[in-house]
Amino acid sequence: MNLISGIKLYIEKMCTESGPGMKIILLDKETTSIISMAFSQSDMLQREVYLFERIDSGRSNERLKYLKCIVFIRPTKQNIQLLANELRNPKYSAYFIYFSNIIPRTDIKYLAECDESESVREVKELYADYLCVNPNLFSLNIPDCMMNMNWLPDALTHSMQGITAVLLSLKLNPVIRYRAGSQVAQLLAKMIYDQTTKESSLFDFRANVDGAAPPLLLLLDRRDDPVTPLLHQWSYQAMVHELLQIRNNRVDLSERPSVPKEFKELVLSGDQDEFYGNNMYANYGEIGSTIKQLMEEFQRKANDHKKVESIADMKNFIESYPQFKKMSGTVQKHLCVMGELSSISNKRNLFEVSELEQEIACKADHTAQLQRIKKLIADERVSIDDAIKLVALYALRYERHANCDTSALLQIIKSRGGNTQIVPALIEYAGMHVRQGDLFNMVRITDAVKLTRILIKGLKGVENVFTQHTPLLKETLEDVFKGRELDPMYPAINSELVPFRRPPQEVVVFIIGGTTYEEALTVHQLNNAGYKVILGGTTIHNSQSFIGEVLSATSGIQFKHTKSMLKYCSPDNL
Amino acid sequence: MSGNPFDSEEEPSAASDEILEGFLCPICRADLKSIDYLTEHFARQHAEEEDALKSVFKDIFTKAKKKILNNFDDERERAAPATGTAAASASNASAAASASRTSNARTRHNIFNQLTKQSVGAERAHMEYFQSVRNPRLERYASETNKLIIRLHRLLKDLPSDAVQRKQHEQQTVPWLDGSSVKLCPNCAKSFHFARRQHHCRLCGGIMCNDCSRFLQLENAMQLASLSSTRSEPLQQLLHHEDRAIRLCQHCLWLLDTRQDMHESRTCRPLLAKVYDEIRQLQKQVAPDLDMYVKIINSLLDGESIFTIADAGALRGKIGQVAETIDLRSKRILTIHSEPGSREEALKKAIRLSCVQVIKERMLSLPPLPDEALIKQIQERKRMETEQRILTEQRMAMEAYERYGAANQVGVSTENRNFAQGSDLQSLNNWSAPQASTTKSSVDDPLIEQINIIKGYIKQARQDMNFDVVETLELNLRELQREVYERQRHSSNSSSATTPQADG
Repeated sequence: MNLISGIKLYIEKMCTESGPGMKIILLDKETTSIISMAFSQSDMLQREVYLFERIDSGRSNERLKYLKCIVFIRPTKQNIQLLANELRNPKYSAYFIYFSNIIPRTDIKYLAECDESESVREVKELYADYLCVNPNLFSLNIPDCMMNMNWLPDALTHSMQGITAVLLSLKLNPVIRYRAGSQVAQLLAKMIYDQTTKESSLFDFRANVDGAAPPLLLLLDRRDDPVTPLLHQWSYQAMVHELLQIRNNRVDLSERPSVPKEFKELVLSGDQDEFYGNNMYANYGEIGSTIKQLMEEFQRKANDHKKVESIADMKNFIESYPQFKKMSGTVQKHLCVMGELSSISNKRNLFEVSELEQEIACKADHTAQLQRIKKLIADERVSIDDAIKLVALYALRYERHANCDTSALLQIIKSRGGNTQIVPALIEYAGMHVRQGDLFNMVRITDAVKLTRILIKGLKGVENVFTQHTPLLKETLEDVFKGRELDPMYPAINSELVPFRRPPQEVVVFIIGGTTYEEALTVHQLNNAGYKVILGGTTIHNSQSFIGEVLSATSGIQFKHTKSMLKYCSPDNL
Repeated sequence: MSGNPFDSEEEPSAASDEILEGFLCPICRADLKSIDYLTEHFARQHAEEEDALKSVFKDIFTKAKKKILNNFDDERERAAPATGTAAASASNASAAASASRTSNARTRHNIFNQLTKQSVGAERAHMEYFQSVRNPRLERYASETNKLIIRLHRLLKDLPSDAVQRKQHEQQTVPWLDGSSVKLCPNCAKSFHFARRQHHCRLCGGIMCNDCSRFLQLENAMQLASLSSTRSEPLQQLLHHEDRAIRLCQHCLWLLDTRQDMHESRTCRPLLAKVYDEIRQLQKQVAPDLDMYVKIINSLLDGESIFTIADAGALRGKIGQVAETIDLRSKRILTIHSEPGSREEALKKAIRLSCVQVIKERMLSLPPLPDEALIKQIQERKRMETEQRILTEQRMAMEAYERYGAANQVGVSTENRNFAQGSDLQSLNNWSAPQASTTKSSVDDPLIEQINIIKGYIKQARQDMNFDVVETLELNLRELQREVYERQRHSSNSSSATTPQADG
């Protein structure tokens, strides 16, 4: 269950099936990202793929008849049409066509009719239709999947296709469970179920011989846990995404003035960069000391090389050049990223902000927290975005609290010129009325087990004030693996597959509305504990993109649950 | 006649004055549309016909079939290698997949523990269906095109230069449609009148107006009909004639163009592709050398004596040479002319980049030659270790003996010890000791002879830098030497051990 090698094996297959010779690869926008997440350009060069071309833009009419062409596209109507045009007037000698998902037979027929010069050698479906971010994390790059609190039709089909591709590439035929009461999750579950029954021959993977329980596909709704994407993160990958944004494993630093030219665009891939692979889940402090070690090691090597006196020394230097260069590149790259992270954290007073965020998320202490929020959001050093997030967290936590004073906080935001609409929108999106499960540990006395756990946790004290919060997902997955009763909260759509009281071995979790790197860390920890979990989402959020998602999901609906904040709701209230 | 693939097909029908064309059955003269149908028809309908009759026609038929098939290489030839490569690549893919799997597992092992084995995910092939839609269509085109080419050939074979005769000849080969009832051009639907006259396609006889006519240059036509223009006199004249194109309708010209296109794209081998193939060839050849070099170096550093430093040096030199050639070739690719800003230029740069990468990462990053003194040191240390080990083993053996209380046999075992020690020293010193002993004792021993032959082979293999062979030969040599030594020991043992034997 490794998503990156799943994609890699598919691409490898394309390159070998097309045989030896110079090759060009014809891609669309999505498949370009998919390939770039798994392979670097030089990897592709080693596989004799020398040119990359987009089927949907900037095409030239140059004919290169001595090239073979690998076509790897999603089976959309537009792509089929473009490919048909290409086949009617072929520019390359042979075409090896791979679709990233299930394609209707009529489209195959149409393409066959267009291939008048008999240049097509292969037509196949290879299900590499998702972006593999980490070995256990995928994204579909759908930034906003909802509108009017319901699916955008394109996002729905894309999600269905992406998840079926994940299942097929890992050869899973799962029990499909969805979050009860979530319309979007139910709809998606039904779509996926229909697809698996329609293409049952494809999903006919031999069940485990030893009678193990079938895998589980769990469709969750972001609205159950709106807190996680709002919190500031301190693990490396999550922090980089929160402060600098990771897009398709790439970080764009061109806007940052202090960054040297060669690091304007960085590739952060755990697969290609060993340091990153080892440290992406480490927290800020750990990374600092690791980089220091790496620096020392590097310096030692650099010092060694400085003593280049004899010709033999020089030869040695040149002979170890590739590794030398590689290592110095890695050190400098991460040093540069860390420098940026620390300057942003200091400038925005993030340590103080984050501590309070964690307090709100994990402890109920209304009066004290309200005072601290008031103080912090009035502080000019705290950026307006961070201030809004604090208020949003407060509003979520104390939505039904007797002394809830969100309006007063919004007033401060307004006086600072912030966008107050975000907070009521968030409550509409994920307030108490939609949430399920106990996000803030509001324990009833009856639940004795949970109560003791919390008490013990309280007694042990907090190890790190910045990482107190654990996402709701952890609890959900622990319930799954402990074999707790799932039906009331997560009913199965294909209940005939549900095993009797046996927890699944493999779980694929998909969060509608986007997942986060903090949840990826949770999944990583579970995997290290021996479970097999894969996490995915319509996208991977940081707080900015999550707020964007909330605003677009709530656009066009009537705000029913935030009457008290009515005057802060209109979007022109900036 | 020779060189024209279509002559023989006409032969059966040549006797009658009526001209038939297509896939004709030589017996019942039915047009069967395609080769497959024709073969099937012939096998079914005429299987019980007279043998004599059959043998007459069979000859013609097979000849015709062979020639047509040659011309049909489109379908046949392409279909065959396609399936062939598919099978080959499938095995390639699995091999490559397993290779990449292992490397993946290694690199990410430290982060994720459960990612040991993963096979390629599910897939679904559509090629069969694709072909079932495409091929009948293409077959139809192919037979149509072939008909056109047969006609073109007949038309050109003895084309008279005189205009009137030429027209007659053209009409004779391809009957023109009767245009009396055609009032409009079938293509553009404009009416015919004295200013817009009817014209005929010379290949299908169809009617069109001048605007809708297309012209095929005579040179191209000759090429298509696989006639050389130098051979026939009248054509030579025609080529200098002003009216040197053949009038065609759009459809016929399209069919001919497509055919030519396909032919060109299949035979297109520009300089770039050739040089590129050379580079790939070099890369493929050098790959085993690279592995061998690493193996030699490791073996040297382990203190083994199968290879020498000179071997490593020679191989390194060879690799260096290949690297240089690859570098030169890839630079040559850069110098091939192409439009600036074109894809071809990008392609050339990418090829160069990948060559530089390969050289840098695979060839220049090889471990350097180890120091000779260092190797000596390692070998020495290893020898000492072995001796030490042997000594301790012997001591243990002795102790065991003593425990047995077989005191009178101690003398024998000490003797044995000397021999055992000697044997290991010999093999470590690169067979120098037995060599010395053989020269003075028996040269006519077949084993010794064998050893000498193998040594000759090894020398030769070293010169050819065939280090795989060197390795196996060296190992063989070791065994032989051991065998020789054992024998010597046995003979000397039996002579000196007569006393204990007598005792026992």
